Amino acid sequence: MMKQAAKRAVEILESLGVQYGDARAETVSTEKTVFRNGRLEQAILRDSRGLGVRAVVGGFWGSASCTGFDAGSAEAAAKRAYELARSAGGKGEKPLSPLAPQRGAYKGPVEEDPFDVPVGEKMALLDRASREAMKDQRVKECYAWLGFENIRRVLASTEGSMVESDLTFSEPFLMATAVSGGDAQSRSLQDGARIAGWEWIRQCDIDSWGEKAREEAIEKVLAPESPEGVMDLLLDGIHLSLTMHESVGHPTESDRVLGWESNMAGRSFLGIEDQRSAIYGSRLVNLVADNTLPYGLASWGWDDDGVPGQRWHLVKNGVFQEFGTVRETAPLVGRSYSRGCCRAMDYSSFPINRQPNFYLEPGPDGITPEDLMAGIRLGVMIEGRGSFSIDQRRINFQFGGDRFQLIRNGKPAGPLKKVIYRSETPRFWGSCDGIADRRWFKTAGFLTCGKGEPMQSARMTHGASWARFRNIRVGGGK
Amino acid sequence: MTRIEPVEMARNAVEAAETPHASAFVTVARKAFTRFGNNTLTQNLDTETTSITLSVGDGERKASIVFEDPGPQSIRAAAERVREFLKASPPDPEYMPPPPEGQIYPVIHDSADPEASECPVEKRMEAVKGVIATAAGFGLKAGGICENDWVRTAVATSTGNLAHHEKTAVNLSFTLDMGEASSYRNLNHESWREIPWREASEQVAREALSNQGQTEPEAGEYSLILEPLAVTNLLVFLYWSLDARRADEGLTAFSDMQGKPVSGKGLTLSSDPDGQVKGVPFNPEGLPSRSVVWIREGVLENFPCQRFWAARTRREPLFMPECLQMEGGNGSTRDLVSETGKGILIRRFWYIRFVDQKTLKLTGMTRDGVFLVENGRVTRPLKDFRWNWRPLELFRSIEAAGQPVGVSSFLVPPLKIGGIKYPST
Repeated sequence: MMKQAAKRAVEILESLGVQYGDARAETVSTEKTVFRNGRLEQAILRDSRGLGVRAVVGGFWGSASCTGFDAGSAEAAAKRAYELARSAGGKGEKPLSPLAPQRGAYKGPVEEDPFDVPVGEKMALLDRASREAMKDQRVKECYAWLGFENIRRVLASTEGSMVESDLTFSEPFLMATAVSGGDAQSRSLQDGARIAGWEWIRQCDIDSWGEKAREEAIEKVLAPESPEGVMDLLLDGIHLSLTMHESVGHPTESDRVLGWESNMAGRSFLGIEDQRSAIYGSRLVNLVADNTLPYGLASWGWDDDGVPGQRWHLVKNGVFQEFGTVRETAPLVGRSYSRGCCRAMDYSSFPINRQPNFYLEPGPDGITPEDLMAGIRLGVMIEGRGSFSIDQRRINFQFGGDRFQLIRNGKPAGPLKKVIYRSETPRFWGSCDGIADRRWFKTAGFLTCGKGEPMQSARMTHGASWARFRNIRVGGGK
Repeated sequence: MTRIEPVEMARNAVEAAETPHASAFVTVARKAFTRFGNNTLTQNLDTETTSITLSVGDGERKASIVFEDPGPQSIRAAAERVREFLKASPPDPEYMPPPPEGQIYPVIHDSADPEASECPVEKRMEAVKGVIATAAGFGLKAGGICENDWVRTAVATSTGNLAHHEKTAVNLSFTLDMGEASSYRNLNHESWREIPWREASEQVAREALSNQGQTEPEAGEYSLILEPLAVTNLLVFLYWSLDARRADEGLTAFSDMQGKPVSGKGLTLSSDPDGQVKGVPFNPEGLPSRSVVWIREGVLENFPCQRFWAARTRREPLFMPECLQMEGGNGSTRDLVSETGKGILIRRFWYIRFVDQKTLKLTGMTRDGVFLVENGRVTRPLKDFRWNWRPLELFRSIEAAGQPVGVSSFLVPPLKIGGIKYPST
């Protein structure tokens, strides 16, 4: 039915003589169970199925959607998309980067279908972990959830593409908040979602997370506050996933450079002319986009333009290489090909330029976090993600974290809380002088990257090993 | 579709549940918008979506399902699936049946406009092309969105409550910029009649041009003059933080503060769902909204409080009816500027996040217009800057407030706040 609906919509678009058109049929099944303080707060199922249609007429887009896949609704959505495109009154063309017709099917890796695991087993796991986290009375709040989603997509276009994806997303989460001395501090499991099955939940070992979150939340709430001053940072991969996302992923989106997001998400400090020339960081910094990463949340087989997943350097040896693009933006930033970054939140949303999966390449073999720490006289070690804020051009930022240790004379010197650091994007990445090897590489999967108007959430995965940054302003933001 | 349909969907879902307790919340939304950037149209979309949330309970356990197809077969299938899910759920020690029958829902007057409920594409095109033409005429780039929504909601409960609500929204927000100089406006109302895009786009163009040649503010103490949008950006975080249970559990800045001052006398926050900015008459579980004063002259009077916690703590169950108003005074932002010796005028904030939820400490950036005020006049544009502030502390130092104006679902005044140090630590 999905293929038929997409095909029917494309036939209508062709009969109307559009310059380009495509149709995305999508079914989504979601199951989410949320425990708060050991009690099932929310047990929710979600089913969604519908068709989104895009058309170009006279050089302008129109887009419409319908719920379900019946032929009449698909035809109406196609005609509405055509009318909306026509309403702009354009007479020109919309150059899209060339793409040979795509055919095929992609299934994301799933060893054990999470929807086959009994709901009772999932709830029992969350119940055990929550109760473990709350064993100490100082822990006043514990959220724990398991979320699973299966998305099946069919994309057909007037250029002859017909591709399918079958993707299963699995997400565990647990956070404990301890209250003491008039303060409240949290610690959470932040590895996030993967395109994977129940095997990812097993790997995360949620049973052990109740105790870990409890002990580290209590350690944190009792810890002294951050020192202030200029010092070094040792950051883990889960923490860096967010710093990278905000200070690399967003400014290298081509639509921002073109001013298409100037009203909300913002612009970029980069210009079109900065490709292959702007210094983004030290020579150690290699940032690799990879929408073929098997468990990466942006590995869909093909994006919503029908462009296959790819791997490329965003930053190579510290030099910015090229933007993440969609078919529409690629020619406008001087590229003859799209990097396949076009994704919509759902069938009723218009696909936009989103971040790919990307990671910081690990350092040479044999480098450990202890080696990096040994070179720090005064600094802070940060694990996990916390507070985050960055200006709309993606230069001026401030980040917190989830767990902090003071480093003095190359050794851990006790826990801290309320640590934030501030820097500017090229200066920060320019201060990176050490990266641990691949044994310490960790990834985090983001399900809720917000962008666009109306706001759309998107998914992607970032990763890194521990890395060291010199002379960063650190403080508590008093 | 006819107006009755969301109500029918809700009633049908509850009837199909076949469980001791059930409630259904339905949203049928037509959303149409045109986006633009770099002085050209980039998207034009029109969509209608239906969302039905069916929540069921057996007196001990509960579960929910969200689905889109309102047909009888789909509703029966959803009901069957959620009943299976219910069986797997553990007993809920905080189980609450739906609100008892006889709930009385407020009437929200003028929440929907007939013309806006048609979501006319011609109106969007006229406004968007007009803004782009103005920008181009001033040598500026325009980006933004023109949205027109028609949203109908309905709630039904197995205890016999049934209600329907309809609202329209027209929203035009745009940024005009040139290099680092920019200005921004957000116009919104239930109808197209109150979207003065011609006047606004010319004014924003002049503001953007006057924002060229920004310099760093000098370190020192300033008054802050916050335009209503900037005040709204801060109030959102109070809106999110006000929760009785989380406060009682020691997790927020409002812990153990009910009945006590949490800020200065200049802060009075209330919600009136049938006020100048419109709220909603019910929440998804079928509880009616009402007018509430949350904070009066700095004293925390009421909390939003879910029904279980309200029963346990002997409070009234209350929720934020999707609108909030802050009391103000007379006059405009310009009047506040004229009364200021040395100040910084801020149009809006950007990327505000919690630094510390326990003290409601926030960080963020300024955006789209920061100006130095000297001796009652705006004298020069300043560069955007990062700040770390606690709004409850800022609002202790309100020296003057202007006439409240509507900003989306908030009604807020411009404020003059005294004694702020720059740079923020």
